[in-house]
Amino acid sequence: MTTTTATLVRLKLSLLRNGLRGSKGRRAAYVTTLIVVLLVAALQLLGLIALRGNAHAATLSVILTAVLALGWAVMPLFFPSGDETLDPTRLVMLPLRPQPLVRGLLVASLVGIGPLFTLCLAVGAVISLAHGAAACVTAVLAVALALLTCVALARAVAAANIRLLTSRKGRDLAVLSGLVIAIGAQVVNFGARTLGSSGFGALDPAGDVLSWIPPASAIGAVDAVSHGAYAAGTARLALCAAALAALLHTWQRTLTRLMTSPDGSTLQAAEPTRTKRTSRGPRLLPAGRTGTVMERSLRYVWRDPKTKAAWVTSLAIGLIVPVFNALQGTGSIYFACFAAGMLGIQMYNQFGQDTSAFWMVAMTISSPRDAYVELRGRALALLTITLPYATLVTVVTTAMLGDWRALPEVLGLSFALLGAMLATGAWSSARFPYSIPQEGYKNVAPGQAGLAWISIFGGMVAAALLCAPVIAFTIWLHVSDESSATWLLLPLGTTYGAALTLAGLRLAAPRTATRLPEILTAVSKG
Amino acid sequence: MTEVETGAGTPAVRVQDLWKAFGPSVAVAGIDLTLPAGKFIGLVGPNGAGKTTTLSMVTGLLRPDRGTVEVVGRDVWRDPVEVKSRIGVLPEGLRLFERLSGRELLAYTGRLRGLPGDEVDKRAAQLLDVLDLAGAQHKLVVDYSTGMRKKIGLAAALLHNPEVLFLDEPFEGVDPVSAQTIRGVLERYTRSGATVVFSSHVMELVESLCDWVAVIAAGRIRAQGTLADVRGDAPSLQQAFLELVGANGRDMASDLDWLGGAR
Ligand SMILES: Nc1ncnc2c1ncn2[C@@H]1O[C@H](COP(=O)(O)OP(=O)(O)O)[C@@H](O)[C@H]1O
Ligand SMILES: [Mg+2]
Repeated sequence: MTTTTATLVRLKLSLLRNGLRGSKGRRAAYVTTLIVVLLVAALQLLGLIALRGNAHAATLSVILTAVLALGWAVMPLFFPSGDETLDPTRLVMLPLRPQPLVRGLLVASLVGIGPLFTLCLAVGAVISLAHGAAACVTAVLAVALALLTCVALARAVAAANIRLLTSRKGRDLAVLSGLVIAIGAQVVNFGARTLGSSGFGALDPAGDVLSWIPPASAIGAVDAVSHGAYAAGTARLALCAAALAALLHTWQRTLTRLMTSPDGSTLQAAEPTRTKRTSRGPRLLPAGRTGTVMERSLRYVWRDPKTKAAWVTSLAIGLIVPVFNALQGTGSIYFACFAAGMLGIQMYNQFGQDTSAFWMVAMTISSPRDAYVELRGRALALLTITLPYATLVTVVTTAMLGDWRALPEVLGLSFALLGAMLATGAWSSARFPYSIPQEGYKNVAPGQAGLAWISIFGGMVAAALLCAPVIAFTIWLHVSDESSATWLLLPLGTTYGAALTLAGLRLAAPRTATRLPEILTAVSKG
Repeated sequence: MTEVETGAGTPAVRVQDLWKAFGPSVAVAGIDLTLPAGKFIGLVGPNGAGKTTTLSMVTGLLRPDRGTVEVVGRDVWRDPVEVKSRIGVLPEGLRLFERLSGRELLAYTGRLRGLPGDEVDKRAAQLLDVLDLAGAQHKLVVDYSTGMRKKIGLAAALLHNPEVLFLDEPFEGVDPVSAQTIRGVLERYTRSGATVVFSSHVMELVESLCDWVAVIAAGRIRAQGTLADVRGDAPSLQQAFLELVGANGRDMASDLDWLGGAR
């Protein structure tokens, strides 16, 4: 290991350690994530080993690898993953040549939960496929190549994404990346459906194609060699190696350009001055703190790139999932509730969205009442967008499926879900705040990733549980043949949702008011 | 607020036995401080002395490990309603809502403070004028220079006419013209009987501005009193400070004998 590589690995380890130091909650969250991931990885490993000899083993292994690679490619665009790794733009000042730097960063990127998970999967895949000495040799190469390609893929995408995010045009483009995830979700959805209807055999053609696409081709190579197809095996392995080389080359070029061109802050300062507006026109918003908070929140949805990206993602997925499903003719009208769920996520980590500017809010909150009005203002700002949007999505879905009788019922369910999301969102904003770093592409500061996941997923599970009474009532109405009474769900669901929101805000407000310094510390990281 | 509650004798700030540690390192180690009302007060000390940590705890932005803080006679942590409405803060190292324009930021802050809308707009316009920000009032704060940010932060802190103003390094990274503007506004503000507490590591600045000084180093108060008291016999505050922290006359010549020597 060269000194640069060793230094970078050590730097990464200490970054991880520092991220975890100081806060017990964060450490607990990280350890929990680690344990869950390890458990899943171990189960997957065992499952794959058990698959050894099965006719579909190759298909499944290859597809799993491809999906994982896709995950590596997409993750840095949206969520934590990138967070635990070094931000190359921070290293600009160091006299490092790109080549050793890339090598060092690649090795440093291998430290972490994600690579460990990938390693488990790759090892499981080759164990399920390798038969014979030649195949075993191929397997060792394949694991190394697949792992490195995945990591390099993530790094290359992340670097390219920084470049996108630091140019203004790019920032607006990056907003569209939400669509990628939405469509990806559809592909997975579609695949799962096909799988359900016609079994593993249906996936074999997809597996055949994917076994030529790196990094899944490395796993495909092991299968080919096991069957004596040495030429195909070598070709697949070579393909993966070539892809790795190409990725590293792209990454290095992007890095070089990133490190030699002005950074985001300079570019921003050079933006043309915007004049206009501030003539607020007739004020539609309520007076006092409520309207002030709403106005600021809504402005941020439009002007803050991170907030905007999050919103566009939510809006896109919220629309695409129910509509695509309806288009495929297989959709259920209940998918329309998805919009409410996706949009409700925006209530989570409210104070983290403020970044350390939260101090301006903290200085003006001196009682639970202030905190309540603040949170209520934010919830109302959210509702001005989500309420019409969720209604629109529901109506569109209903129209496509032609099931108008179900409209009130689905609307009621949507509103109940939205209310539950707002309630849990408000509460977890107060209880589990975390920072959203503004520089670069990261959405979570080092060491806070586990906290973010737990906050959002725990919240979603809690929201679903809170909705259980309404859902149970819906099911009961259908089961007991009272379908004519399902319109009752609209008033019931709406009232229930509103009550949940109010209760959530009431619970969150005193917590917020007493935890102001702790929240400020939590959202000021990174 | 009535005269009786904060009679002339009540200090603007009274801090007792204030402690704060970040993990193993102690940033503030038992500070006792009494700052008189109506003065221009400087909290001075080298980088890392604990100025920011102290001011954060005094203004309620950071929870102390131990100790009490009273501002205009009220406990910051037990009586936030009374304290928060009476103080203005310009912290260091924390952001503003940068995706608002300067004018929007003031409108937002003032209304959050509970002032009536038209009063906020009137005061904001005047502050923007006095602080030379009128030309940039519709620009987003994210596009402001350091000096402009400090000025808009100062405007936001002054908007509700606080009794005590806490400024953390208000002149750091600020160009001379902006610095002069800030100075003018602050001097006018203290003449009205209000208190300004500001931190700085630049002795000359503190010496030229303040009439009351507290010297802090390594998390402890080394001296406090009027400028003349703290300076004592020393020719300048800088000298007095170096004597206080015992850094005077440290001989560096022998340590760095290679510097500038044969290459
Ligand atoms: N959030 C923090 N975490 C860990 N250490 C901190 C933190 N804030 C300040 N410190 C440490 O506390 C000491 C005092 O810092 P600070 O109050 O910022 O000093 P000053 O403002 O006088 O330069 C420094 O040694 C600094 O490294
Ligand atoms: Mg400081």
